[in-house]
Amino acid sequence: MSDDDNILTETFRRVLGDVVTSERIRAFEDSPALAPIWPELAETGFLDALVGEEYGGAGLSLAQVFPLVLALGEHATPVPFAETMLARAWLAPHGISLPDDAAVVLAPRSAILPFAEVATHALVADRDMIRVVEVTSGSNDVFRAGGALTLNPGRELGAFAGTPGDLLLAAAALTSGQMVGAMARMLDMTLNYAGERQQFGRSLGKFQAIQQQLAVMAEQVISAQVAARTALRSTHFEPIRVAAAKCRANEAARLVCNIAHAVHGAIGATAEFDLQLFSRRVKQGQVAFGSERYWAVELGRARVTADCQTTADFLRLHLMDEDV
Amino acid sequence: MTINVDSFPPVRIPEEAEALRPQVKAFIAQQLMHMPPHRRARTWAGFDADFSRALAAQGWVGLTMPKEYGGAGLDAFSRFVLVEELLAAGAPVAAHWIGDRQSAPLLLHYGTEAQREFFLPRICRGELFFCIGMSEPNSGSDLASVRTRAEKVDGGWKVNGQKIWTTYAHKSHYMIALVRTSGTSEDRQAGLSQFLIDLSLPGVTVNPIKLGTGDTDFNEVFFEDVILPEDALVGTEGNGWAQVNAELAFERSGPERIYSSLVLLDLWSRSLKDDHDAGDLERLGLLVSRLAPLRNMSIAMTGLLVQGKSPVTEAALFKDMGTEVEQAIPADIADALGARLDRTPDPELMRTLAYLMQLNHVFSLRGGTREILRGMIARGLGLR
Repeated sequence: MSDDDNILTETFRRVLGDVVTSERIRAFEDSPALAPIWPELAETGFLDALVGEEYGGAGLSLAQVFPLVLALGEHATPVPFAETMLARAWLAPHGISLPDDAAVVLAPRSAILPFAEVATHALVADRDMIRVVEVTSGSNDVFRAGGALTLNPGRELGAFAGTPGDLLLAAAALTSGQMVGAMARMLDMTLNYAGERQQFGRSLGKFQAIQQQLAVMAEQVISAQVAARTALRSTHFEPIRVAAAKCRANEAARLVCNIAHAVHGAIGATAEFDLQLFSRRVKQGQVAFGSERYWAVELGRARVTADCQTTADFLRLHLMDEDV
Repeated sequence: MTINVDSFPPVRIPEEAEALRPQVKAFIAQQLMHMPPHRRARTWAGFDADFSRALAAQGWVGLTMPKEYGGAGLDAFSRFVLVEELLAAGAPVAAHWIGDRQSAPLLLHYGTEAQREFFLPRICRGELFFCIGMSEPNSGSDLASVRTRAEKVDGGWKVNGQKIWTTYAHKSHYMIALVRTSGTSEDRQAGLSQFLIDLSLPGVTVNPIKLGTGDTDFNEVFFEDVILPEDALVGTEGNGWAQVNAELAFERSGPERIYSSLVLLDLWSRSLKDDHDAGDLERLGLLVSRLAPLRNMSIAMTGLLVQGKSPVTEAALFKDMGTEVEQAIPADIADALGARLDRTPDPELMRTLAYLMQLNHVFSLRGGTREILRGMIARGLGLR
């Protein structure tokens, strides 16, 4: 990553730190609304990061934006910022313009739709078209994280060629990125807590049983991050890369949430403690846009039908952590 | 600095290194044509001196050694490509494995010019095979407690003691042993040194240990007043612990930590082409999803090694996860095959499965146990 990219990421992190505070996330959860978080984030100009320069955007690649997607997860950002970034990039070449304040979710068929409670617009897909529609959501925010089970589509703003599969890949990839960002933050929080909390006269982190669990947690977080980094390379999402990333993020989430909360004890699940803001979002992500079983079957089928002598060949040809 | 995803910076395998791949594939296809999968499943536990010498004749043993010492002068990326292909195909690489992976780099780094000139060309030609003398009957994970002792005598060193679990000592020419040269086992890491021990010397006794599988890969090795020449010492006297630790990143970061069960995975995967249920595909997909980031992490660490870094904690994290997948592959496939009461599985698939199922539980032991590795990761996380 270049120095410019690092500066970009640091700037974005700082903004998130100021704008997406835990007090605001709690207020959002009590009464979901875009303001004040959305307008303050939109003001940064980052929404057009992926839009091509010829359309007035910053023209960054998804690989460059990957750290931003992680950062959104690291802050438990309750609004569809990454999704709107992608939607704007997809729409720009087709001359479809969104209102400046549009908060867009990707809405392929899915058991749950993160961020849908506050979305103003959605991308929906039928056989060979992806359509931008105005939406209002039902009120089934079952995780208290701003998600919804269904959306009510309204006026269509435009459409472009694309399939339900394309939309699902994008949604799953961006969700994986935000899940692993949130899990990385949970690891940090858990390491800090293990350093502070004393029992039997020493900090939890000094107990070998705890150390071994935290090592496992770090392994899970890092491998899921590498898998997500591999999938978030281009806005043309590669099915095999996305399958591996969502699968890994979901599988990692099981252990990561269990260990984080085990080390914290009951306090971690209380409203006043931040850990649960992250674990509830990670769990909502597990259910959204294909579970580990869904993507594992896809990935298994891809391996069986691939013209590869060995799985090493399959990994090299389809799952390299480098640009597509 | 704590370990995180940035500890594994993405890197592309250079074209020069990738150029080696088709040549290796062609060589392996020709060499292993008649080797059945259950033999290939042994991969880096499979000892075949002829294969190692044929590989050496291609210039592919000691690939990273400088040309003046008989090597190919290529970098760690080329070695990654070579080793990945060998392991994925299940080539029997054990004969030259230790010399190539550890002894040669150790001697290049710490050896005297005379040691380099004598040993490196012979390793590269596939003439000298090496084993590593680390564990002792009372020193397993607690390696610093080794008791085998070398004492200074006129014109050299006298060694007494015992090593155990020494892989292929009975088929190797030399052992590089970690022994105590001063102090007692209470002094821990201080006072340890590494020696080159010619296993044909008087006073060396090698007793193979037979495993329940019927295989004999391991040995116990006794030293009774074994006289070593002055120049058997590797590196600096008393610096053995630091030297051994420098090898760990090499020993734990490579594709051998994820591919030990790959021959079985691919045999099973091929059998699924015409006959599978959703459960089979799910298991296969989950395994692939775990392998994919690990392979990328191994490549990232190769990049770090090329830059002269020593990603020891990263390698511990990678190896712990890698051996977990290697263990899961036979277990998952056993479950999948055992669920099919309606059919008799292919005998060769079952032979390969049975071989790995009898061994997969020990995959987490070799090269540092799971518990030791997790302790290292915890240290990397700032917990100890």
